Amino acid sequence: MLVLSRRPEQSFRIGDDITVTVLGIDGDRVKLGIRAPRNVVVLRQELFQELQGANSEAASNAPSTESVTELLRKIAPAKA
Amino acid sequence: MTVTHAPSLSPADIDASSVIAFPEGLVGCRSWKHFVLLTSDEADLPVGILQCIDEPSVRFMVTDPRLIDSTYCAELSFEDKLALGTNPVIYCTLTVSNDGNITANLLGPLVINAQTRQAKQVVLTDDTYSARHPVGRLG
Repeated sequence: MLVLSRRPEQSFRIGDDITVTVLGIDGDRVKLGIRAPRNVVVLRQELFQELQGANSEAASNAPSTESVTELLRKIAPAKA
Repeated sequence: MTVTHAPSLSPADIDASSVIAFPEGLVGCRSWKHFVLLTSDEADLPVGILQCIDEPSVRFMVTDPRLIDSTYCAELSFEDKLALGTNPVIYCTLTVSNDGNITANLLGPLVINAQTRQAKQVVLTDDTYSARHPVGRLG
C-alpha cells in the first residue's frame, strides 16, 4: 500500500482526473474532499462491501417466481 | 421492452438484441455486465429473472420496487439521466435468506434504459433505503 502524509488543505492525485484533498482533521475524523469525473463511483468502503455482499447473495439465493408472486400479492393487494 | 420467456434459455437462444448491458458491471461485481430478462406469461405481477450471460450461475429475481415501498423514488444524477433516459425501468433484486426471509435491495436498484438496453446499478444517496429491506417470509 502506498502511504502518503498530507496536511490539511494539501491534496494528492489519482491518475489525471481524481484529486483528493484533506479538508480538515477533527479528533479521530479526517474530512476528505474528492474531485472525480461523474462516472467514477465513490463509495464509503462499508457501503461498497454492503452492496457487494447484497449482490453476491441475491445472485446465488434468488427466490422462486412463485414465492415472490405470492408474497407480493400479500403485501401489495391493491396492485395484484 | 421485449422480453425472452422463461425457461427456454440456452446460450444459442440468446438474441443479441435482447441483451441488457451494464457497461460498468454491478457494484463489487464488475464482471457481471450482460443480462437477459426472463419473464413468465403466467405472472400477473412485474417479476422477472435477470440471467447473467457472463456468469451463468448468476441470476437475480427482480421486481418493481414500488410494489415493496409505494413511495419509492430513485433519484438519478444528471449524468445517469443522460445515459439511462428520463423514464427508465427500475428493478430491485430480491434475496431469500436461510431462515426464509426475503429482502429487497432498495439502495442499489438496477436502472434500465428500455430503448437502448443500457443499464446501471445506481447507488442512491438517500440513505434511508437499505440494501436488505425486509419484504416478508416465505410460506
